[in-house]
Amino acid sequence: MSGRFEQGVGAMRAQMDARVVSYLSSCVHCGICAEACLFFTETGDPRYTPIHKTEPMRKLWSQEYTFWGKIANKLGLSKPLTEQDFADWEMLVYDGCSMCGRCSMVCPLGVDIAYIIRKVKEGLSAAGYSPLDLVQAGERARTIGSPMGVTAKTLEATIRVQEKETGLDIPLDQEGAEYLCLFSSGEIAGFPEFIGSLARIFKATDISWTISSQYFEATNTGVQLGNSELAAELVERIVAAAEKLKVKTVISPECGHAYTTIRWDAPNFIGRPLPFKVVHIMELLEQLRLEGRLKTEGTIDDRLSFHDPCNISRRGGVLEQPRHLLNMVAPKFVEMKEHGDMNWCCGGGGGVSSNERANELRLQVFSAKKRQLDEIKVETLVTSCSNCRHMLEDGLEENEMEVELIGITELIADHLVKETPDRGR
Amino acid sequence: MTEFIEGPLWYFALAVFLIGVAWRMFAIFRSGSKPDFSVPRRSAAVSAVMTSLRRFVPRREMSPRIRLHVVAGYMFHLGLFTLLLFAAPHVEFLQEHLLGFGWTPIPYWAFIVTSQIAFAGLLLLWLHRLLNPVTRLISDADDHVAAVLTFVVMLTGCLALMEAFTGLRVLHRFTVELLMIYFPFSRLMHAFTFIPSRAYTGAWFGRRGVDA
Amino acid sequence: MNNNNPRRISSSPGALCSALMALFALMLALPFAAQATDGGTVPAAKVVNPGAELWREVRQREAPAAGTSQVQGMDSGVLINTYGEQWRQFRMQQLIPAAGVLIGAVLGLILLYHLIKRGVPLEAGRAGNYLLRFKEIDRILHWYVASVFIFLAVTGLILLTGRVVLIPVFGHEVFSVIASASKEGHNLFGPLFLLGVIGLFIRFVSKNFPGKGDIGWLLKAGGFLGGKHPSAGFFNAGEKIWFWLVIFVGLTISATGLILEFPFFGQDRPMMELSLVLHGVGAVLLVAGLFGHIYVGSAGMEGSLESMTTGYVDVNWARQHHDQWAETCEEAGAVIAGEELAKKQRLRGTKNRVPDRPVAEGGQ
Repeated sequence: MSGRFEQGVGAMRAQMDARVVSYLSSCVHCGICAEACLFFTETGDPRYTPIHKTEPMRKLWSQEYTFWGKIANKLGLSKPLTEQDFADWEMLVYDGCSMCGRCSMVCPLGVDIAYIIRKVKEGLSAAGYSPLDLVQAGERARTIGSPMGVTAKTLEATIRVQEKETGLDIPLDQEGAEYLCLFSSGEIAGFPEFIGSLARIFKATDISWTISSQYFEATNTGVQLGNSELAAELVERIVAAAEKLKVKTVISPECGHAYTTIRWDAPNFIGRPLPFKVVHIMELLEQLRLEGRLKTEGTIDDRLSFHDPCNISRRGGVLEQPRHLLNMVAPKFVEMKEHGDMNWCCGGGGGVSSNERANELRLQVFSAKKRQLDEIKVETLVTSCSNCRHMLEDGLEENEMEVELIGITELIADHLVKETPDRGR
Repeated sequence: MTEFIEGPLWYFALAVFLIGVAWRMFAIFRSGSKPDFSVPRRSAAVSAVMTSLRRFVPRREMSPRIRLHVVAGYMFHLGLFTLLLFAAPHVEFLQEHLLGFGWTPIPYWAFIVTSQIAFAGLLLLWLHRLLNPVTRLISDADDHVAAVLTFVVMLTGCLALMEAFTGLRVLHRFTVELLMIYFPFSRLMHAFTFIPSRAYTGAWFGRRGVDA
Repeated sequence: MNNNNPRRISSSPGALCSALMALFALMLALPFAAQATDGGTVPAAKVVNPGAELWREVRQREAPAAGTSQVQGMDSGVLINTYGEQWRQFRMQQLIPAAGVLIGAVLGLILLYHLIKRGVPLEAGRAGNYLLRFKEIDRILHWYVASVFIFLAVTGLILLTGRVVLIPVFGHEVFSVIASASKEGHNLFGPLFLLGVIGLFIRFVSKNFPGKGDIGWLLKAGGFLGGKHPSAGFFNAGEKIWFWLVIFVGLTISATGLILEFPFFGQDRPMMELSLVLHGVGAVLLVAGLFGHIYVGSAGMEGSLESMTTGYVDVNWARQHHDQWAETCEEAGAVIAGEELAKKQRLRGTKNRVPDRPVAEGGQ
């Protein structure tokens, strides 16, 4: 056993809390979780059964915490947890699981399997069994401040382009602003119009906001890797940037795991409550709509639907807001049969789309989303996560499907009431 | 033999069962939980209770995939609990040996019908465990022993119906005691641990404002 | 037979009837007692029964002598049930020995056949590609019916032949326990078999209607006569016959079983006796057929068993035994490659691990 294996086991052991013990004691191996997981349903491969992916944790619990497990281990009657298990489970856990949590919604025993998988990742990453792509992304996040290597300079350049396009000022490093907006590198690089959309909406609703050049990254590779130390370090940078600019609320952008991280997990990574409130951009838009500050005109006449990003809806709790917002501008909005907290994952979350080794698999399991879309035959699909958007784009292209993709913020911004002519428009 | 089974072995089995179950439950809470510093949307405690109840009903998005699980699962569990708690010989036993009070049992024909439902459910579930690739991969010895042992307990009970022979009744008692001894060391503990398991998950989702 | 008088047991006629009934019951028990005990005791001195003449006259009538009685209930007006003895004779002298002979003969024939012919192999060997033959629900249903039936068969045979076969081995006391247990078990599991038969019917009836090639298959006795394997669809004629046998005989057994188990609906003794006869004959037939079914589905035909365990069959097996069905599947593109199937059938063990990641020093 190498030293790193011991590190991995130690990291996993430290994750053994009451919740995990209650879950491992309760699972009766019924297999219902598999029927909820797109990695199983679309491949038919029983190794992707969610509770099977947690096997390293179960083995550790069995051999160190249970009566038969301890005895069987001593007598050599059972196979103990070995480094080979870590090696064998790497692909199941990192390539074959987006931590979407659909399994956790259906287990009759109430087991939160995604929660356990997140903890298994702590062991795997500590022992060095994580995908190389993710590890490198983590390094970039640590050293450059962005897993994709987007620097402050790139951000500033993107902001300038958006200022030109919208004719609006986009405040950078504005101390005392009420809201600080974070971004995922994927947005900055792939969907910069999000930034412009924010500018237009905040101008129309008179919101004081800013962006931090010191630290702007919303995503947390520490969470995707399963490295709490890295996760905490990245969160501290957000806290530092927010405290420096003395903002009251931090806006989580269109990114799934970024939301659960900053809204729900961040305080626990750093061991104290956050000194600011956290909202998802959709929550803020809905709040503005309720206050009567967000006014739209015109509609989009496409037959469209909404793809709920798993970590914003199911794991994050932002469920109703996109419906209210879409009802403002989309008269032909239809729901997919499985929507809201039981939506099928796009297949790319949790680091899966950042891991090139998983490309073939994630495109294969896109068949679940394809089936959903084929059922309702929409022209446009709206979502609120840039990672989902990338994944959906890849899947739609691979399957030669004619469906337009748009982010919800951009859709709302495109329908803002034009009160005064904007500069340059 | 009969004196041993109805005497010392019964007390031993009862002790192992009670102490074992208590210990396993304690082991859960002993592992501790870290506090959650995030700002909740809703009461965690209320959500814990709601989810504990809500999980009895499967999500409609899951049908028809899990139809057999649900139908056979409820046939077995509801059948078993009904006959365990409301069959006349059991009510009598509980009154005499454990509780000191009893209640109105179900009529004999209802006892038979619920046993049949329970048997069918258990048989279907166990066959599913053997024939489905997912459960075949993830099942271990504990799962099979628990299923077979439960079946044997039920079968010896069935064979001892009408209590025509002491030997058959004692055989049933003996298998029950085996099951009681096996119980705390096995996955059968889910009968108790499902409560904290569902509650923890309910609390976690509830804080986020999700009806899990 | 039906006694619609209000319940009124008046003293003297009632008492006389009861006394006669008791005497009658005692008389019926005597031959049983005589049967059960070993021969070899010194015969007692003959004593003439004063009522013997009367009883002989009553019994020699064609039908059960029926009258009226103050006692409520079926058959309470019947003094002597002449069918009773017929049934008993049939059961002891014909049914039980026939059961033994039939089951023994079937087992013996199967054994002989297997020793000589050794089962039918896959002529073209395994192709390594598969067709889905039985879905999970069908397999679960099949094994459900199989296990329930086997339990019923064992307990039923104990009840039928135990007196002859088991008492000599276990003695009376132990046998009474076994028989009592068997009776309770048999009665409880009986209705479960009925549910299974109904399920089988619903799932499989559409595949069991007579179709193309059935006559030809029968004429060639499935390939026994005239070398070449005859053509067949999803199910061949032999399987269809077994299906309908299971359905009809199974339903008969179930119906008679229900009549026997719930004698609250106006069944009189002749009806119960007839039910027992049908129940026993049907059951013995099915048990005998079952041995053939089990043989053909396992050792008798290479590649058959997996159709009911994994649900998939090798394409060559399908082509050899059910060519029409194989053709339809292949045209529809339903063939699954072996490697694809292996992914869906992962089992525990080293062979089915993820592509092996070498346990390098340090991992990465």
